[in-house]
Amino acid sequence: MLRLIGQRLLAMVPLLLIVSVLTFSFTALLPSDPVDLIIGDRGSEEQYQMIRERLGLNEPFVTRYVTWLGQAVQGDLGTSFFNSVRVTDAVMLRMPATLSLTFASVLISVVVGLGAGVAAALRPRSWIDRLATVGATIGQAVPNFWFGLILASVFAVSLRWFPATGYVRLAEDPAGWLRSITLPALALGLSTSAAIARQVRSAMVGVLQQDYIRAARAQGLPARRVIFRHALKNALVPVVTVLSFQITVLLGGALIVEQVFAINGIGSLAVAAVRQQDIPMIQGIVLVLVLVVMAVQLATDVLYGLINPKARPA
Amino acid sequence: MKLSHVRPSTLAVVIPSVAVLATLLICALFAEWLAPYDPLQQNLMDMLQGPSAEHWLGTDDLGRDVLSRMIHGSRIAVIAAAEATGLAVLIGVPVGLFIGYRGGWWDWVTMRLVEAIVSIPGIMVAIVIIAILGTGLHRAMFALGILYSTAFLRLARSVVLTEREEVYVRSARVIGASPSRILVRHIFLNIAPPLIVQVTLTVGAVLLAEAGLSFIGIGVQPPQASWGTMLNTAAAYMELNAFLAVPPGLAIVATVLSVNLLGDVLRDSIGRGIRLPEATPVHVPASAPARSRSSEPMTPRADDALLVDGLTVTVSPKGGQPVPVVTDMSFRIGRGETLGLVGESGSGKTVTGLALMGLIGAGGRIAGGRVLLDGTDLLSLPASGLEAARGSDIAMVFQDPTTSLNPAFTVGSQIAEVLRVKQGLSRRAARDRTVELIDRVGIPRPAERADAYPHELSGGMAQRIAIARALSCGPKLLIADEPTTALDVTVQQEILDLFRDLQDDFGMAMLFVTHDLAVAADICDRIAVMYCGEIVETASVDRLFSHPRHPYTSGLLSAMPHGASGTPPLPVIPGTVPPPGSWPPGCRFASRCAHADAACAAPVPLTTAEVPGQQVRCVHAAALTLEAAQ
Amino acid sequence: MTDALLRIEDLTVTYGGRSLLGLRRSGVDAVKAATLTIGAGETLGLVGESGSGKSSIANALLGLVPASAGRMMFNNTDLAALRDGYPPEVRRQIQAVFQDPYSSLNPSMTVEQIVTEPLKIHTGLDPAARRDRAEDLLRLVGLAPTHLGRYPNEFSGGQRQRIAIAAALALQPKLIVLDEPVSALDVSTQNQIINLLYERRDATGMSYLLIAHDLALVHHISDRIAVMYLGHIVEEGPADRVYHAPAHPYTRALLDAVPLLDPARQRARRAARRSAPVSDLPRAATGGCPYRNRCPLAMPRCRAETPPVLPVAGGGTARCFLAESDIAAHPARPEGVTAP
Repeated sequence: MLRLIGQRLLAMVPLLLIVSVLTFSFTALLPSDPVDLIIGDRGSEEQYQMIRERLGLNEPFVTRYVTWLGQAVQGDLGTSFFNSVRVTDAVMLRMPATLSLTFASVLISVVVGLGAGVAAALRPRSWIDRLATVGATIGQAVPNFWFGLILASVFAVSLRWFPATGYVRLAEDPAGWLRSITLPALALGLSTSAAIARQVRSAMVGVLQQDYIRAARAQGLPARRVIFRHALKNALVPVVTVLSFQITVLLGGALIVEQVFAINGIGSLAVAAVRQQDIPMIQGIVLVLVLVVMAVQLATDVLYGLINPKARPA
Repeated sequence: MKLSHVRPSTLAVVIPSVAVLATLLICALFAEWLAPYDPLQQNLMDMLQGPSAEHWLGTDDLGRDVLSRMIHGSRIAVIAAAEATGLAVLIGVPVGLFIGYRGGWWDWVTMRLVEAIVSIPGIMVAIVIIAILGTGLHRAMFALGILYSTAFLRLARSVVLTEREEVYVRSARVIGASPSRILVRHIFLNIAPPLIVQVTLTVGAVLLAEAGLSFIGIGVQPPQASWGTMLNTAAAYMELNAFLAVPPGLAIVATVLSVNLLGDVLRDSIGRGIRLPEATPVHVPASAPARSRSSEPMTPRADDALLVDGLTVTVSPKGGQPVPVVTDMSFRIGRGETLGLVGESGSGKTVTGLALMGLIGAGGRIAGGRVLLDGTDLLSLPASGLEAARGSDIAMVFQDPTTSLNPAFTVGSQIAEVLRVKQGLSRRAARDRTVELIDRVGIPRPAERADAYPHELSGGMAQRIAIARALSCGPKLLIADEPTTALDVTVQQEILDLFRDLQDDFGMAMLFVTHDLAVAADICDRIAVMYCGEIVETASVDRLFSHPRHPYTSGLLSAMPHGASGTPPLPVIPGTVPPPGSWPPGCRFASRCAHADAACAAPVPLTTAEVPGQQVRCVHAAALTLEAAQ
Repeated sequence: MTDALLRIEDLTVTYGGRSLLGLRRSGVDAVKAATLTIGAGETLGLVGESGSGKSSIANALLGLVPASAGRMMFNNTDLAALRDGYPPEVRRQIQAVFQDPYSSLNPSMTVEQIVTEPLKIHTGLDPAARRDRAEDLLRLVGLAPTHLGRYPNEFSGGQRQRIAIAAALALQPKLIVLDEPVSALDVSTQNQIINLLYERRDATGMSYLLIAHDLALVHHISDRIAVMYLGHIVEEGPADRVYHAPAHPYTRALLDAVPLLDPARQRARRAARRSAPVSDLPRAATGGCPYRNRCPLAMPRCRAETPPVLPVAGGGTARCFLAESDIAAHPARPEGVTAP
């Protein structure tokens, strides 16, 4: 297993490099001159040149990239053009809320998706299968932020069971954290639950037709055992793949759902950065998000290796 | 796909979906005429009104008519979907085809770039692109087009890569077809169907993404009316007029749902990707239902391990009438005896084996008969009783050992599990017994091999494991379904030796299902020859090979590769096996039989021939002189 | 042999030797220095178990995989040297029929399109002439011209294989590679196809490379037989000699492994056979004779040296020291094998 992790970590290095090059060169394409953004129209030519020099903008592109990457590796993502906040600090301040929301919704989607998918697969064409299928189909068509709006207007505005806005830190008040995260996580987890349910259903239906299931039944093993031990473990293999792919969807979705519930996460930071053309901030956010995605993909790879012996290196 | 072939449930999905999309398109095209108000016209006297006669869907924060804004918003939705999806196809498909076909460095570099883009949350990619280009509908859609082009690129590439490995593409290369001809003729034809499905998925995704971007204020810009910007407004005034969020949200859901559903229907109906004509075999189907004339009923004997009497199995194809696949199946197996069930594909031999286990899959049904295992009728047992009998009294070995063992567990744990569940052994005892069994089936270093996963074993080794598991609880009857067909001949010989050896030890009766008469000759005491779902002849091995009484048996014997003599023409059975559902009402072999005449048009029972123990289903059996094995 | 149509010399096919990121991986040799000859109008049967490399020879010959070493002289052209694909005049002379008739025909093309495709590519025939030719071809393979408009999925396995043969015959090639042409078919249909292939060869004088795993079946229509074991050609010779008096222990093991159709004689043979314990040694031996780990007659010498290609009485060659030491020590016919 350690070897698998080592291999995957090694494989991530070139990917991270490519992402960093992409991020850096794309943001270099931003149409506006950052110096103008910083000093406005009133700056003198000398000031202008001084700031360019300070930002290192007179260096060649490759030099700037290498410098940026070197600092990034040490955890320094530069300084915002606008409020001289260190990008690392700003991102780290906002990250817990976004990650809480994302992982809470992962949890919800796995529980709901797995339950609905297995129930549907066990009785194909029954009412429970139809219900799960219809639910999953609709779930994938509902915009998560709109679902958030509806949840908020019902459970927060009308019923007042949950707060409509804001985020409470887990460390400050665990109960409050749970209350603040429930509705957004439900809103965000809907489409992923649907995707997982569909995947579980089709994987289970496929696995249940396999020879080894028939062979297990031919050995007279109880049906429950065949389903929950022999079939489910194999059906989980594609589910893990879906999860590893859905994590980018969930993180992206979190950026939008946050806005509905006025959670100060990465989403509002990113939108502000785009509006202000704050290059270091955008670069930093993208890089950190990709790091999160890769960490999750590493975890799912390990999980994949655990449930699928064929994926383990010989 | 003709409409008459579409199932009603499919139509129930297609019609509303098409209706929703048609409405959307009409609204988009004729928004100016359909909208009751100017979508931008403000009326600060009538702000945030609920639905009323003047304003069917109420008004927004600036007193603008929501219905009119909805109708104009549908135009934005159509433009957004068309622009982004069109761009994604135009970029993704050619690049994907190119790198798929070209391979090498082009492929490697492009795919690493795609992987990098895909590892960034899509919304973030769009946000960065919008940061470069600026906000607004067309720029946002350009961003989404680039983002979703990765999906089309990967699709096109994977179609090229899979099609390249197809045998018919290899055939085309052997013929000498040029790469461009192969791309057009074989690959492009096959990319169209999944492409259409991907387009529907992308349209749905684009609509959701456009709404999301507009919602956070970097997509379509106010005052232009899009469903996303309307939701942005609704969010701000949620406490004052919650209804504002309903119309645009429902519009998005209905549109995306319709597109997705159409995509699902398309995917299901085009299957692997090619529009196929309905599969109608060239054989002329017989209209009369195929039913065997019942043979004499079997009477149980004390030394029977298994007695099957008048077993009939039907299979219902999806939405079709049940078709008989096994009829009038009667045979007995004595204790410690091996009966071979021999037949070609489609003869019903495998279904018979599964029916005895109570394991015929969905759509299959046992329509009649008795299956007495040691005097107990398995067919009359409740499900729990049958489950208890399986593994303990009756067990099965399957054709392909690499698929009949669960890939997710070690082989040892799969044997130990049976021992623990069926015999209540402790973990420790089950493990010890497992290692003993693995040793018994002739696998060296059994303790070590117990911890191997199925894919780590050769086919022959895996089959030995499967046999060890089947015999772990000492069943009275072992059903072996083509257990050596997937193996090389030298391995086949070892497995046959193992079966014989184990039978001496465990004393179980065996039903050995095979298509190979020579294998049956080697392992069986008696043989039942099946053709089109019924036994046509049964006899002791020696008798069957020296004095076959059925023309089909004789034909099979002389057609065996080392049965036939010298140089071609080799003896043949003319014609092909008719599939279930098109069996003739009389003798099912008649159309291929040199001896057939008018007497063969009526159903034929299985009757005892001149020698006791030999039974034949042929009206001419007594009169024919048939060729025996060489 | 002067009139050889095809002479394969020291052909080696290697898979997986691709360089990835500059790191060169060592490949696996599917075929190791194989030498074979097919005369004009002759059928060479190539026999082996799974993984023996027999299909790799076919794929190399058809230009579907590159040869990593050796020569394939076809009518004075070295096919192994044609790295950029075969020119049309070579292509049209070598055709193929593959094992699985279900995947070897494009499901979206009609029988007419499938059968006339080679004519479209290689001849200047107009559509009417092509259709005439297609009708002739279908009759030749035992189908009716009315089948031209149908799709492959309307046919049984045997009928599909007839369509594949019709397409292979379209250009009147000099050589057809038959890769397990009947192993996916039912017993009662196999001989129909074998007879058809035999009859067509007799009528046209073309050559076959017939690849199969069943020696008995191959023996019926082959002039010569070559036996492969793990990439090596271990025995080669006239079909009757190889079938009735195999010189290599592996060939003999292959023959003995197929049960006899006579139950009494099969029982006798079984009783005589020593049931050897399952070997824990790897199937492929490294160094020396590749078969020595499974060979009942292996000697210390087989570990030390690789047996050379040795002539065998009755024609052909075998890569076994036993062929060198004492040909007479082998019974002329392996005990129990049926004489035709």
